Amino acid sequence: MNSAQLEIQIIASLVAIACAIPGTFLVLRKMAMISDAISHSILPGIVIGFFITQDLNSPFLILLAAITGIITVILVEHIQKTGLVKEDTAIGLVFPALFSIGVILIAKNANDIHLDVDAVLLGELAFAPFDRLIISGIDIGPKSMWIIGSILTITIGLLIAFFKELKVSTFDVGLSASLGFSPAIMHYSLMTISSITTVGAFDAVGAILVVALMIAPAATAYLLTTDLKKMLGLAIFFGVFSAISGYWIAHWLDASIAGSITTMLGLIFLMVYLFAPNKGIIAVFYREKQQRTEVSLLTFLLHLKNHNEESERHVNHLNEHINWQKVRSRSVLDLALKNNMITIKNNIVSLTKKGDDFTTQAIDYIITNENAQIEDMKEDFFLFRG
Amino acid sequence: MNIQDYFSLVLNDYTLRTITLGTAILGAVTGMLGSFAVLRKQSLLGDAISHAALPGIAIAFLLTGVKDSYVLLLGALISGLIGTFWIRSIITKTHLKSDTALGLILSVFFGFGMLLLTFIQKQPNANQAGLDKYLFGQAATLVESDVILLSCVTGICLLVMLLFWKEFKILLFDEDFTKTIGFNTKTIDILITSFIVLAIVLGLQTVGVVLMSAMLLAPAAAARQWTNSLSTMVILAAVFGAFSGVFGTAISASQNNLATGPVIVIVASIFVLISFIFSPYRGLLFRQIRFIKNRRDLKLHKTLAFMYHIAENHENISHPHTVKILNNFHGYTRGTLQKLVDKNYVSLDGQMWSLTEEGFKTAANLYSQQSKKDE
Repeated sequence: MNSAQLEIQIIASLVAIACAIPGTFLVLRKMAMISDAISHSILPGIVIGFFITQDLNSPFLILLAAITGIITVILVEHIQKTGLVKEDTAIGLVFPALFSIGVILIAKNANDIHLDVDAVLLGELAFAPFDRLIISGIDIGPKSMWIIGSILTITIGLLIAFFKELKVSTFDVGLSASLGFSPAIMHYSLMTISSITTVGAFDAVGAILVVALMIAPAATAYLLTTDLKKMLGLAIFFGVFSAISGYWIAHWLDASIAGSITTMLGLIFLMVYLFAPNKGIIAVFYREKQQRTEVSLLTFLLHLKNHNEESERHVNHLNEHINWQKVRSRSVLDLALKNNMITIKNNIVSLTKKGDDFTTQAIDYIITNENAQIEDMKEDFFLFRG
Repeated sequence: MNIQDYFSLVLNDYTLRTITLGTAILGAVTGMLGSFAVLRKQSLLGDAISHAALPGIAIAFLLTGVKDSYVLLLGALISGLIGTFWIRSIITKTHLKSDTALGLILSVFFGFGMLLLTFIQKQPNANQAGLDKYLFGQAATLVESDVILLSCVTGICLLVMLLFWKEFKILLFDEDFTKTIGFNTKTIDILITSFIVLAIVLGLQTVGVVLMSAMLLAPAAAARQWTNSLSTMVILAAVFGAFSGVFGTAISASQNNLATGPVIVIVASIFVLISFIFSPYRGLLFRQIRFIKNRRDLKLHKTLAFMYHIAENHENISHPHTVKILNNFHGYTRGTLQKLVDKNYVSLDGQMWSLTEEGFKTAANLYSQQSKKDE
């Protein structure tokens, strides 16, 4: 691993951290698509800034582009306020228009400037170490590392300083306003930070992939925890992990670094989405299946309790009476037997003492529907699962 | 070449005619289907789908090694559908919200697509050049077979839409009701979504991944401003879309260095802007005019009511008073007084005014709502 490789990994990790922090709040505030809009609509800002400064890394350009990002947010909000279209339509109308203006500006001046749309959208991390910051003749590292480093420092500083304000205004706008923290100021500060981060990161990972770095780690973390601090920590961890592993995959495949970082983010999300302990797809399916069986069992026991005549309690009759398929009735019957709820004699099913008590309790619960009884029931059902 | 040249050339020149026809048809079909996306509050789905289609194009190329646009579009269609259904499942199965799901799938699929595209570019295969035209689209690459394909799809869309019109409409406005009267909402839903995906995928070649969502939204959002009827909206959206296509092509053909996709999007956005401002019922301009007019009427009423309270105290209601006493009243201006005179509610004599019989009556009934006539 040479120094250029190390620098690329450091830059990628810094970008990942800088994106994960505002990204977490965007996801929690249900404004994830705003980051997509900002990342596209900064293009005209970048182009105009480039006309003026002729330097993609100048702070002035970053400022100008970030202002374009904020203008996008304000435009979207204004269109939304007119009530003519819904919010998501407003987003979908504003950013393609601004992006088109940017593309046209580039195309019309293609001969004068060294800037193309691909570079802005996709970025090229591999070239980042070659553009070095030299102060009074001393080489102190790649420019983009310093840019994203300072953005990250500001972000972390603000995060620590205003953590509780951000937290309150994210989860309860009304409370935050009544406590005296203006939700509007929080909103626009967050938007400003997101814009600046997007601009600062675009020439390393490209505008669209900034969106991935903002949303994917936060979404993945949100599936694993409901604690804000843990979520921030997990999002940063996922971001940095994909940044570094993505770099090595790109190295191995000889393909775009930004692309493979995003792919890693996607894979991590897929894994968590499938296997997360409580909110993952498999856990959800398993839980739904459990609940279905539990309800079936309860229905079955209630049916038994309601009918004393033997003909109603014959195994074959039950099959058609409750209208279940064979497999399902068999599994419910087995479950009930295993838990000593029923006994079967000559294909006649009858409740045991335990089953009878349980059913009475269940009926009580259904009739009274009091919350206090839920806790007991939960434990009873828990027994069944074993 | 200027715009006039362009229109004379359209009829004769094969390339221009093909491109114009292609963008017009594309605009019409996306406008039509976009109406459904906009009304179902799925505006950003188009953005997500168009990005999600990219890896499909790359994988189709990797598997077949040919750059046949049908094969690539099939790949795009499949990966677009996978993206759409994954978004669905994220929204329904987890507590992540739709914006997160959209942004996530959009960026992750796009990133994966970029990984594959850069991987393909490094392959020793001379055939791979030009795959990146799907990023920004190149209307210039449209050929006659593409236009025929587009027309066929548009025809099928129209047919399906006419067949399932009432199902689509009812699902759009009241999903629960649809379910209760026995329609299979899932099937209708999948049908609409699949057609939206299809339209987006077809547009990729022309306007590209990044700008496709605007093609879907802009004509529909513009059409929405002019009407409250679904059928009118769909037709208007198709017309707006087609015109954006034609004008966009015309403008980009008449200038050097102008890509067609962005110009079409700008034209469509101008349509939206015009509709936002000038549509008669919802438009901002007329809304503002109505607002000002109402405020003026209110001021007029207030002045009249003020005069009424003065005149009330005199036996002769037409007893003249000086204009000066009105000066302290904030509803009063020279203009409002003149208006009252014009309406024959007040007669003016030099610096003195007096209420007429008619004015007195109107003022007396002003707040009792007995007079039906609304000023």
